[in-house]
Amino acid sequence: MEVNLAHLHLLLNHFPIIGTFIGLGLFLASFVGENEDLRRASFIIFAAVGFLTIGTFLTGFGAQAMVTGKPGVSDALIARHEGSAMLTVWFVELTAALATIGLWQYHRASRPAHWTLSAVLFASLLTMVLVARTGNTGGEINHPEIRATQDTSQDVTPDAMPKEGPIGSIIRVFEPTPEKFSLAIVSNKWLWAFLMAMHFIGLAVIVGTVGILDLRMMGFLKQLPLAPLHRFMPWAMAGLGINIVTGFLAFIGQPENYIYSGALWLKMLALMLLGLNAAAFYLTGVFNRVQPLQAGEDAPMSAKLIAVSSLFLWFAMITFGRYIQLLSNTVRLPGVTSN
Amino acid sequence: MVVPQIFNTVEQSAFSTWIRESPSLFAFYFILLFHTIGLSFVVGANTVVDLRLLGVARALPLKPLKRLFAIMWTGLAINVVTGVLLLIAYPTKAMTNPVFYFKLLFITIAVITMRKMNILFDDASLSDPALMAKGKSLAVMSLTFWFAAVSAGRLLSETYRFLNYHQYLMKMGLS
Repeated sequence: MEVNLAHLHLLLNHFPIIGTFIGLGLFLASFVGENEDLRRASFIIFAAVGFLTIGTFLTGFGAQAMVTGKPGVSDALIARHEGSAMLTVWFVELTAALATIGLWQYHRASRPAHWTLSAVLFASLLTMVLVARTGNTGGEINHPEIRATQDTSQDVTPDAMPKEGPIGSIIRVFEPTPEKFSLAIVSNKWLWAFLMAMHFIGLAVIVGTVGILDLRMMGFLKQLPLAPLHRFMPWAMAGLGINIVTGFLAFIGQPENYIYSGALWLKMLALMLLGLNAAAFYLTGVFNRVQPLQAGEDAPMSAKLIAVSSLFLWFAMITFGRYIQLLSNTVRLPGVTSN
Repeated sequence: MVVPQIFNTVEQSAFSTWIRESPSLFAFYFILLFHTIGLSFVVGANTVVDLRLLGVARALPLKPLKRLFAIMWTGLAINVVTGVLLLIAYPTKAMTNPVFYFKLLFITIAVITMRKMNILFDDASLSDPALMAKGKSLAVMSLTFWFAAVSAGRLLSETYRFLNYHQYLMKMGLS
């Protein structure tokens, strides 16, 4: 299987930047006349950006493997972009998590709490700055025209790195050095065991809480009214949060064990499809139709289909996750001779 | 430490070797996959019932959750079978690791808790509030020991002393 992760990265890398920009714009505009529809839309965009950014971040490592050491490509610039991404990604996900809490508050209390609004405002502003820098440092890798130094014949020496603005030089202080970050994760086996244990506990919480809702919609456990079952969703989201964080850390620890594994990319495809499935459930009115279901009432066919795909995709996630190691050498990246 | 010779006999058997060394997608990793799916059944369903007993989703009637116990016992059965298969693949590795015995202990406590909880749910005379009052401490036990069992399981690959009987002989200077 040959996959061009660089192309995929170039496709996906626009979502975090443009998405955060649009989300922030709508969010700020929502304060004019307290427009709740606009605000809710901005939360949905932030959540979607958090989801898509998982793909952007992971494909970046594939793209890196493909272009590292190539003539005209600076390893120092790649390292700087990678360090920037490793800082930014947590804030993109934080903004998404806070926006998801806001969406839950819209659902439960018809409007989000004040602390949520302040937190989203703070997190999304910071994310906007960080994501702009990550985009810019990434662009400089393959767009020499935006670099300050024009010589592409050799690697950029540390002191000849493109000039950073005042904001960039401040952010820089907080950015990890990629190799050190990776080493910190894999050098401690207890940290590794802890990450894996949490990833599996997260798995059990997600499959349990999402699974029971899916089974109910499919027509099993029909004695259960649907609305109270949906109260487990914050727990499912907490499990998902744990697994995104622990999954990211495991991946950063030894990316070379993951990027050549077909199972990892299939798992990420399943994750993206789960995002689409959730969008189909919540944004097309299906959720509003099933929410009032009382004990014994049947869910509409659309809800059943969504429930079946959700269960199927979660078990696909487990399956591909389990085969990452066995299939860790099944993807050939163009231009990479040996792994 | 003396490791019984029988572990060597098991390890040398064709079946054990096949599970361990076959490049087939349906050998070791397939068993491991079903061990994880079994985990998601037994721990996932337990988590939902535990959370409900501890006060999450209070509007949800408790009694119908009785049917989730079938999922839990199915998950447990899958994991006993796949667990034995994994043990056949690596007897020395598992049996010489203290963490493995902790894992078994945690599972034993968790399963006893699950059985007690199942008996409570089967008691038709208990109202939902009574069931909740009686089930709370069981729910805490259940969450604690299932999560402990999962964690111990994940620790096994980081804590084993001998991968196989041969390595035991080498490291102990017995061959």
